[in-house]
Amino acid sequence: MSSHHLATPAFVIEPGQDPVTIFEKHRAELQRSRLFMNIAMAVLFALLLAVSIYVSKFYPDRLWAGLPRIFEYFGTVMPNLEADNLFAARQANGKAVPGSILYWYSDLGKYLQLLFETVLMAITATMLGAAIAFLLSFPAARNLAPLRWINVLARRTTEVLRGVPEIIIALLLVFALGIGPLAGVLAIAIHTAGALGKLFSEVNENASMRPVEGLRSVGGTWWDEMRFGIVPQVLPNFVSYSLLRFEINVRSSSIVGFVGAGGIGQELNHTISFYNDDRVMAVLILIVLLVTVIDLISERLRTHLVGRENLI
Amino acid sequence: MLEFSGLTKAFGNHKAVNNITLTIPQGQMVGVIGRSGAGKSTLLRMINRLAAPTEGQIRFDGRDVSALKGRDLLAWRSECAMVFQQFNLVGRMSVINNVLMGRIFHHSFATAMLQAFSAEERALAIRALDRLGMAHTALQRAETLSGGQMQRVAIARALVQRPKVMLADEPIASLDPLNAKVVMDALRRINQEDGITVLANLHTLDTARTYCDRIVGLMSGAVVFDGTPDQLTDRQAREIYGAEADDAFSEGVTSTMLTPRAQAADTFDSAA
Repeated sequence: MSSHHLATPAFVIEPGQDPVTIFEKHRAELQRSRLFMNIAMAVLFALLLAVSIYVSKFYPDRLWAGLPRIFEYFGTVMPNLEADNLFAARQANGKAVPGSILYWYSDLGKYLQLLFETVLMAITATMLGAAIAFLLSFPAARNLAPLRWINVLARRTTEVLRGVPEIIIALLLVFALGIGPLAGVLAIAIHTAGALGKLFSEVNENASMRPVEGLRSVGGTWWDEMRFGIVPQVLPNFVSYSLLRFEINVRSSSIVGFVGAGGIGQELNHTISFYNDDRVMAVLILIVLLVTVIDLISERLRTHLVGRENLI
Repeated sequence: MLEFSGLTKAFGNHKAVNNITLTIPQGQMVGVIGRSGAGKSTLLRMINRLAAPTEGQIRFDGRDVSALKGRDLLAWRSECAMVFQQFNLVGRMSVINNVLMGRIFHHSFATAMLQAFSAEERALAIRALDRLGMAHTALQRAETLSGGQMQRVAIARALVQRPKVMLADEPIASLDPLNAKVVMDALRRINQEDGITVLANLHTLDTARTYCDRIVGLMSGAVVFDGTPDQLTDRQAREIYGAEADDAFSEGVTSTMLTPRAQAADTFDSAA
């Protein structure tokens, strides 16, 4: 923090003085001191922007040069479909006709099973993470924590939990627990607990303290105050944030498979590493479809739940 | 002149305001009294159309303001200021900017968003604040003020609208006796000096008696009394508040006034 002195907003009007003149004088003073801070901030921002452009080499010519190569890659994983055989059934020997959708999606059963696993991973991780976040959010809220050190401890905990990217946690857990969805679920749950813990505690900090005082005045404990003074106020927001996090976690759980932590990501990694053909595209399309469908359902659920909760 | 004819507001089957017909001449100070739920707030909020009437009309100087739409409705609201029980200021904004919000109707989208108020407008706002003894707080955030101070800032905001009518919805219900007096004195002074019609919902009878030219008593959404404070008898007051005949009914009990009128208090005590 700078020790720059801001003009104090309070001023005195002596009897007989013109209030408008006095006000304008103090307003001008206040604006001068703010102007200095604003210019300092603008210069600092421009400097940081320039440095970050230089470091990341975010130059338009590089961007233009790299653009065609993105399409080049997609060219290699495009399905080789033939109009005549598009809907061709399996042959007598049980094999699909090359060039048909059936051939392209011959592993559909496996994909669907993995997509289902991905959604289950996201649900479990969100529930686990939201439960931990819920418990942490009360001590992590500045206005609610019973003791200062508990507040600091709870806040640092949520920071550590969300500080490490889930793919790294997943990597460590795969090493410790072995390949499979358990590592993925735990990794996402840990990150979710940190991220939601922060959001939940901010919701708590904005809650009205009047009901809490009401509960205190009847001889309630800290637990009573939280349960009846705060929870009913913040629950709709908690539900909304949790569902939003669920959408994010569906995306995350289709990524953590890359390090062996279960879900459709494992198959995507597999197809990219071993085949690098149209199967990559087949899996990608399914992931995009899944995420879109989940987003749509979750959004509906959110408005429905929050709308109803608000009536209570 | 403000005229209501057959004014009704229904919430489902319940009629909060039921067929009210009244005429209020320009410059009158009217106190609206009644139990909670009698329809006082709904009546006031229909005038500046924070609530829409179900039936009937509100006319101001012959113009039907209950049918206004779009820009005309906003123009009417800017002429018909309102003061709220909970002040309804923007806590994180400075006092002066809160007051300048009263000029917002006269600004374009751009000048409003940029808070580009002219020196004349600032002077107008400061003079309004000074009238209420609040000019020295102009550069503070509104949330740093006490309740009584906030209500005075809210009245200053209403004043810079240069309104013809000022609606006050329980303006002193959240204030201590001293601040209640300051706020009611300010409303009365504005009414007398500027000739602004004031309609105030009041929950205490003696405040209405002390400050208003005329008292309107509401019960279940209908007018049950309309007259001067002197015409309001003990029996009628009991009827408005629905007090049982045997119950003690004292104006002093409901008072937030510093010096309740001794005479009125005596009358009610002896009747009880």
